[in-house]
Amino acid sequence: MTQAEIIEALLAFIALPDASEAEFEAMALKVFAYQFRNNEPYRRFALQRGRTPLSVRRWRDIPAVPITAFKDLTLSCSPPEQAERVFMTSGTTQGVRGRSYHPTLAVWKRSMLRNFRKRFMRGRERLRMGILFPDETELPNSSLATYLSLAKRECGTPDSETFINATGLDLDRLLPALERAEASGEPYALLGASYSFVPVLDALAASGRRFALPEGSLILDTGGFKGQSRELGPDEFYDGLAAAFGVPRSSCINMYGMTELSSQLYDDGNAVCPSVKSGPHWIRSRVVDPLTGVDLPEGERGVIVHHDLAHFNCVSAILTEDAGEIVPGGFKLLGRVDGEDSKGCSVAVAEFLAAARG
Amino acid sequence: MIEHAGHLPGLSREALRWREVSHHAWGESAIIALPELDEAQAAALCTHVRGNARTRLKQMPVARIAAAIDATIARLLDRTHPLRRKAEHLLPIVTGYDRETVRLGLTGYLKTFRRPQLLRFLAEDFANPAMLDGFQPTPKGGYLCAHGPDLLLHVWAGNVPALSLWSLICGLLVKAGSIGKLASAEPLTASWFASLLAEIDPEIGECLAITWWKGGEAAAEPVFLREADTVMAYGGNDTLTALRAKLPITTRFLPHGHKIGFGVIGREALDSRKAPALARLAAHDVARYEQQGCYSPQLLFVERGGRVAPAEFARHVAQELAALAPHHPRRALSQGEAASIATWRGAQEICAMEGAAELLGEPSDSWSVVHVETPEALSPTGLNRTLKLVALDSLDDVPALVAPQRSFLQTAGVAAAPERLFRLAQQLGEIGVSRIAPLGRMTAPEAGWHHDGRFSLLDLVTLTEIEQSAEAAAEGFAPYVD
Repeated sequence: MTQAEIIEALLAFIALPDASEAEFEAMALKVFAYQFRNNEPYRRFALQRGRTPLSVRRWRDIPAVPITAFKDLTLSCSPPEQAERVFMTSGTTQGVRGRSYHPTLAVWKRSMLRNFRKRFMRGRERLRMGILFPDETELPNSSLATYLSLAKRECGTPDSETFINATGLDLDRLLPALERAEASGEPYALLGASYSFVPVLDALAASGRRFALPEGSLILDTGGFKGQSRELGPDEFYDGLAAAFGVPRSSCINMYGMTELSSQLYDDGNAVCPSVKSGPHWIRSRVVDPLTGVDLPEGERGVIVHHDLAHFNCVSAILTEDAGEIVPGGFKLLGRVDGEDSKGCSVAVAEFLAAARG
Repeated sequence: MIEHAGHLPGLSREALRWREVSHHAWGESAIIALPELDEAQAAALCTHVRGNARTRLKQMPVARIAAAIDATIARLLDRTHPLRRKAEHLLPIVTGYDRETVRLGLTGYLKTFRRPQLLRFLAEDFANPAMLDGFQPTPKGGYLCAHGPDLLLHVWAGNVPALSLWSLICGLLVKAGSIGKLASAEPLTASWFASLLAEIDPEIGECLAITWWKGGEAAAEPVFLREADTVMAYGGNDTLTALRAKLPITTRFLPHGHKIGFGVIGREALDSRKAPALARLAAHDVARYEQQGCYSPQLLFVERGGRVAPAEFARHVAQELAALAPHHPRRALSQGEAASIATWRGAQEICAMEGAAELLGEPSDSWSVVHVETPEALSPTGLNRTLKLVALDSLDDVPALVAPQRSFLQTAGVAAAPERLFRLAQQLGEIGVSRIAPLGRMTAPEAGWHHDGRFSLLDLVTLTEIEQSAEAAAEGFAPYVD
């Protein structure tokens, strides 16, 4: 298949109302064949694992690349210098950031919007939005900035606003906007990185302010705290959001996405944590034994693998560093998979890196 | 059955709180009860040990202490002794190491504490060990006497069987009243040793105690940290930093942090006859205690130019690790340990994709070997039988590749001809390596070794010196003075 053909096939696949296991598998094998042919480092990786389009018959056998590979390798089926957009991770390892190359954002945008409308908008055409993250013009390499800008442009009302720019959080504009939303009686949506909410919560707590946003209002947070703010436990965080904005925890939705994917996963609110996450029919998630890569049974903790067909230009199957377990209706995200210190007196990687950082 | 850990003279078992911890491995389980002392009990224990050490241990000749240790070790070496049998049964369940590893490891380690070795040990640190019993003349004139601390606190860590005996025996030899804090991953051997010693020489038994507390949390911890004169501690840098911060400035602190071991193989050791044997020894060092020891190798530097190329040697090592697996199965791994290996393997695989590395062993194997042809600095692997081999043009390149890790260096396993052994030892010593061992013996230090390059006994004592002039001046006050 050519690039144009694979894009066309994927747009059609995303447009389907749903996909059976067999339909997903058929498309996954096509995408694997495309990536195997056009992505040189991925082909070497697959060959090393003894997996080729000829030998692989099930989507679960398509080899998943460790997420760190996006830092070390150029994983792209098209010339990277011709990419319309390059998304980069915020986290780095020794100054190196993971990269995802997009020759076009058509599939990425279609994937984002179709799923966002279903999981967040829930049938509403537009909502007034407040965005707690810089705009995509300020952070063109941030997939989250692009995501939020797209959400605002396509699903926000014209008076939706962005409250973070190069100079930081603009509380002087945010607080009056929340007041207006409160008074209007119209549902309001506040979206941003999880860590962007923390200074807002702190400012409101310091001044003793609370809002009661109108019924039907929503909050979307994503990405955790990443050392950008103080760390809050999930219950503390969602209780804080519910108390500060008057949005019940069941209307606080957490989006789970990554630079190394072209689709996002959502829960249906955080009344109970950890919530159950799931994605649309063009992405499937597995939980595997980190060593053998074998699928683990429901309820057993392992490492999450995502198979995102929309990430066609890089690699669709990625082995994350997130721990999780499969549950009915999706999976639970259980934090990061951390290597363990030695049980004896030998130095393990974590301590070594800590020392190297000083 | 519940096995009670600890040795607590002066306290009754019934009066204490016990925390039960269950361990499972090899299809069996065991429950170990760890003592949890309150502040008053901790204070009473410190007073008991300190008082008895002063009135009893310090009055004994060191020969009596060595004899009691020797008799204790002899019992633990006797495979028919009930405690030895219990050790062989329980240690594999508690630590997860396979039975053969535990059995061979115990014997190999314990036999370094027999009387002849203990004497060598004393001679290693003291020109005249009799200075532990009283003042001895010194070559420069005057007299010296060595005193161990009244109360020596050991803080042990890790699951390597019997590792705690090392510092415990050091303390006894310098007549220190000793209190040991057990590692929850191996709480047994020190307890058994202390009880057996108390049985053989009840007076010595009153001068040492073995206990446990949850580090950083227990109410008893401040009592022990305040009371100890000297603290010998094992653990990672975080643990040691936290511990040091809690000690009075006057307390002598002897930390033993985590270390990384490596091997160096010269081209002269790489012919078709020697290389396979050497690979077996290297595999043995890797498999023994699953690279959990401070002396365990995580990386081997292999010199080019021998008849066996580094890549071929890597395959020999892989083969030997595969051959060891059926007889010495790897410990069951925790999620975190499996993740460490997976992350490390993943990174190696990515290097291999660029053609920079060769990865041997399947993910389902209990070992992994990676071979790289470009020079690479020393760094940890995923542990639990994961080894990296780095090919080099010359062993002279090794010091620069390990020097950045100075604070983590300890053991280097060297296979090279004598002249090169000494040259390399000189270079490695300058950058902080404190022990050169042959391959196959990296995990079994000799009796009387200098752990982390220190004097294990001398570091514990304080010397009292009678200066020559003081002795001369005293003459002026003698009853027989003219």
